[in-house]
Amino acid sequence: MEDIIKIDHLYKSFGSVKAVQDLSFCVKEGELFAFLGINGAGKSTTINMICGQLAKDSGTIVIDGVNLEQHTEKVKGELGVVFQNSVLDGVLTVYDNLKCRAALYGLTGKAFEQRLQTLAQILDFQDLMKRTVGKLSGGQRRRIDIARALLHRPKILILDEPTTGLDPQTRRLLWNVISDLRKNENMTVFLTTHYMEEAAEADHIVILDSGKIAAEGTPLALKNSYAADYITLYHVEEAAVQAMGVPYEPMREAYRLSVPNTEKATELILKYPHVFRDYEIVKGNMDDIFLTVTGKNLTGGTER
Amino acid sequence: MSTAAALIKRNIKLFFKDKGMFFSVLITPIILLILYTTFLRNIYMESFTSVIPEQLSVPDSLLNGLVDTQLVSSLLAVSCITIAFCSNMLMVQDKASGVIKDLRISPVKSSTLSISYYAATFLSSVMICLIALVLCLIYMAIEGWFLPLADIGLMVLDVILLVMFGCALSSVINFFLTTQGQISAVGTIVSSGYGFICGAYMPIAFFGKGLQTVLMFFPGTYGTALIRNHAMRSAIAELVKQGLPSAAAEGIKDSIDCNIYFQDARVGIPTMYIVLGATIAVLLFIYIIMNMIKKGNK
Repeated sequence: MEDIIKIDHLYKSFGSVKAVQDLSFCVKEGELFAFLGINGAGKSTTINMICGQLAKDSGTIVIDGVNLEQHTEKVKGELGVVFQNSVLDGVLTVYDNLKCRAALYGLTGKAFEQRLQTLAQILDFQDLMKRTVGKLSGGQRRRIDIARALLHRPKILILDEPTTGLDPQTRRLLWNVISDLRKNENMTVFLTTHYMEEAAEADHIVILDSGKIAAEGTPLALKNSYAADYITLYHVEEAAVQAMGVPYEPMREAYRLSVPNTEKATELILKYPHVFRDYEIVKGNMDDIFLTVTGKNLTGGTER
Repeated sequence: MSTAAALIKRNIKLFFKDKGMFFSVLITPIILLILYTTFLRNIYMESFTSVIPEQLSVPDSLLNGLVDTQLVSSLLAVSCITIAFCSNMLMVQDKASGVIKDLRISPVKSSTLSISYYAATFLSSVMICLIALVLCLIYMAIEGWFLPLADIGLMVLDVILLVMFGCALSSVINFFLTTQGQISAVGTIVSSGYGFICGAYMPIAFFGKGLQTVLMFFPGTYGTALIRNHAMRSAIAELVKQGLPSAAAEGIKDSIDCNIYFQDARVGIPTMYIVLGATIAVLLFIYIIMNMIKKGNK
């Protein structure tokens, strides 16, 4: 797979605040890339620079082989962005909003109507065309935001916390649509989210802390490097658990042991087979990784 | 071209659909109409009749024409500016609501965006002001006074120039605004203040000498004088034809800002056009430069 986004030694400061410091990473074409960090970690600053909204202090941004600085307009045509908050015109209808935004990409007339029908079908908003955007529910508005971002068939879809505050049904619909687009159109998705279960689905994750990369890799690699495994033991005496010399916490009718990795878990099973009669082993989740890497809890963005 | 057209269409639609913004532009004309119907009309009627010799019999239609043309010229002079200001607030609203991010994310040039705001403001303001002019002409006709076609044509030109001036001035001022609070503050100041400084509520000739001198450095003053001249000159000429001495006619012109003086020198109509036109050009130049600097600093 080719690199569709290449960020190299990117810096950005606002006065004395160093928002982004020596950021370098790549995003492969067609992958789901997750960009994590607490509020103020530098995610939005980086996205704004990638979208050509904010000038960088130094470094290079190459999108689909094109240097952003030299061909900003061309690069903008490759990007579709769903912002944290809806930025469509609240007093205009869904149709008027999408027609105006499509014209900004040169999409007019029959071509626009056809694209609109396709998106309305995919995102299920045929009945909302004549409704004013300001009167739509959060979920309905989100669908229109995504349709707006997809109007011009972008190669890269940037989703800045797209599902925050949405009901589970709309979240599922959005992820199904995004999954289909990746499958059928090889679209690259660049995601920032506070939902760890969404980040866990990514092909590659970058965790940002104070404007710098704190960790990166696939979800599995990150789990192996930064999250402990948990063994839950059922129907055992506490003395037997204590004898293993591993940190544990009692649960209702069970004990949860924390081991650094699966290898260590296997060692314990082989050493104490009589204890391991009813048990389960799970890898640490994304929350654990985030906490280990940054020392902060992602939800709410506060330090623990 | 289709991009600019789509943006202009969007901006105009937003202006007319946003009832709050649309009605706020009507505040100044409504204040003016209330002032005229309650007491200013009587004051001006008495003021005009006091300078007309008793032996001169002036028909009511002519007297109504004098007062009405003054109202119409004041109304248009102030509306062209306040409407342009309010309409151009869309530029600030887009910044305050974050919509501008969505527009700037597309491959549209920032110059196209800036031009679309100016063009949409100009078109919606001209549309409203010309409708207001037509309504004013109908009202005057009902009252018994008809303006010559040439003067109507010149008033249309004055309206267009004043709106261009209002658009250019508001573009420069609104460029620095980013929040809803600033929109309200500037909107209120312009809506309530411009009527005074342009001489719509009370002719500049009534102000003190110092204030008059200051106001002569305001380009809007020349716009008001232009529209007032073209609105009122036929009525004053008719008064002279009926037997009013030329000196008295000049006195009326002085008292209602048809004649304006810069450093005691009377400003001719061509000079008024030059001042207004040059101001529009300078403001537009500043607006373009500011956009270029902003683009470089982004």
